[in-house]
Amino acid sequence: MELIAIQACVDGDFVLNMVPVLTDDTMEEVGKKIAHHSVNRRVAPQDKPLGVRFQGVTMPADATVESAGIGAMDVVYAFYEA
Amino acid sequence: MPRLARSEWYDLTRDMNWTLSYVTEDQVWPDDLSHGYGFPTEEWWTWDEPYKITYPEYVHNQAGKDASVYSINAVVNRSKLFEQLDPGWKSAIIAHYGAIAIPEYVAGIGEARMGRFGRAAAWRNMAMYGTLDETRHGQIQSYFPYTLLDKEPRMDWAHKAFHTNEWGAIAARSLFDDMFAANDAVSTAIQLTFTFETGFTNLQFLGMAADAMGVGDLEFSALISSIQTDEARHSQQGEPTMKILVENGKADVAQKLIDHMFWRSWKVFSLLTGLSMDYYTPLEHRRHSFGEFMDELINKQFLDQFRDLGLEKPWYWDDQYQKEQQWLHHAYHLGVWFWRPTVWWNPDAGVSPRERDWLEAKYPGWNDSFGKYWDVITANVRADATENTLPETLPIVCNMCHIPVCTPAGYNAGFLDSPDPHILDYRGRRYTFCSEPCQWIFEQNPARFQGHQSIVDRFLAGQIAPSLRPDFEGGTITTTHLAGVLEYMGVSLEEAGQDATDYAWAFEERDPAVVEAS
Repeated sequence: MELIAIQACVDGDFVLNMVPVLTDDTMEEVGKKIAHHSVNRRVAPQDKPLGVRFQGVTMPADATVESAGIGAMDVVYAFYEA
Repeated sequence: MPRLARSEWYDLTRDMNWTLSYVTEDQVWPDDLSHGYGFPTEEWWTWDEPYKITYPEYVHNQAGKDASVYSINAVVNRSKLFEQLDPGWKSAIIAHYGAIAIPEYVAGIGEARMGRFGRAAAWRNMAMYGTLDETRHGQIQSYFPYTLLDKEPRMDWAHKAFHTNEWGAIAARSLFDDMFAANDAVSTAIQLTFTFETGFTNLQFLGMAADAMGVGDLEFSALISSIQTDEARHSQQGEPTMKILVENGKADVAQKLIDHMFWRSWKVFSLLTGLSMDYYTPLEHRRHSFGEFMDELINKQFLDQFRDLGLEKPWYWDDQYQKEQQWLHHAYHLGVWFWRPTVWWNPDAGVSPRERDWLEAKYPGWNDSFGKYWDVITANVRADATENTLPETLPIVCNMCHIPVCTPAGYNAGFLDSPDPHILDYRGRRYTFCSEPCQWIFEQNPARFQGHQSIVDRFLAGQIAPSLRPDFEGGTITTTHLAGVLEYMGVSLEEAGQDATDYAWAFEERDPAVVEAS
């Protein structure tokens, strides 16, 4: 387990935030950590689950940062699923 | 004693050029400090300034300017004028002094370098006046805020800011080091005096002086007007320098220097002037929007000058620059307000219902693109949940302009094809850029920029507060971390920016007459 920082925001936010994540965090956990800095701050909350997108591909919820191939300072987005 | 007309002796006393005999050209004008591009010495001697002045005239004029502006300072400081100024305007001038006062001194170094390493005596003569000008500007813009310290303690940031690691100071220092503190004489003439001063600040100072007069800030108006008259003169060193480059087949060099520095200047100009014009200046005193100011004054003048000199507009003009003008400063304003504890002034949200109407009129679509962020913020303020209007992490910062990466805002507003930043992995290090031109500037000369670390790089490297690094566990950043960041930036809790009007804007109701009419 390693701590890394990623560049991230929830879709609809205006800026990329520095978000620390652990390499064994699941995408569900990553989504929450990204949302912590965007949702109800500048992005209106929605009663929907959050997905995580990396390099244009939606990651499985149970994938980990490591298994998804997300590295330090990679750009990752969270989004409200339809 | 017979007196000659100035025109009869000016050229003789100005052109103290001579042929070197016991040293080489390279020893006197090394390329790192001068950069002659291999042109024959006599070519540089054709350098001719459009604005002539002699030393006695200079001293006479400057003494008069100082007497006038310092007397206004003395009178105004015995009045209650400062206390009566709008809170947003006060923020604008506190931000201005911190970002500009000491850089003016540093600009004096750039002018002095041209005064020593310029390739023509006429140029060196002109640059010495510029050196004295910039010294005066540093002094006057340090002294005036000093006299306001008893009314506004944060005026000490006029002297302090540039010596801190506050993020805006890092951005300004990076820009000004690149532009004049660490630049050769030819590049300084083109990048400082032509691109930055002729292109941006000369006109900006005219606008600011008029705006200051409009809001009743007589002192700042007089100060800025006085400085502008100096700038109008010494900024003219760029044009004759560029002419020599163009006439000797180096138009591409001049073009690249301009393209490089116009973009960097634009970023900081957008951050400082964009916020000041469209958000901090009281609504009733706004004579034009920042976008109108850029279109009608900055852009038009610059395009005319490009054409006159046979140069092209910068390669990013249409696809990048013109589009950023529509959205960038709105994103910067939102970021500065949200991260307000990290700045030395009190950001004025400037988004009351009346102000939002003005923004929508000036920037059609503002409510859909930027108003939605402020809707969430307003709801939190009204619900007494201001903790949600404050940051718990750092934004990602561009490795060139050192301003937060707001590409998602440009994408959401419909001006960018992607919210992604520009990523460059270079020699084992990842660099993040907010725009294609910022990356382009880096790639033109990586050795010049590769060693610099942004505030985010420093945080992640454990340089800011090494003892805090293990507390990262669990992947959250605590208020302890942010307190450490503020300490690193030199911002005490007492100084940290707060909302300029204590959130009054969030509780303003729309005028019923306007609602009915719409």
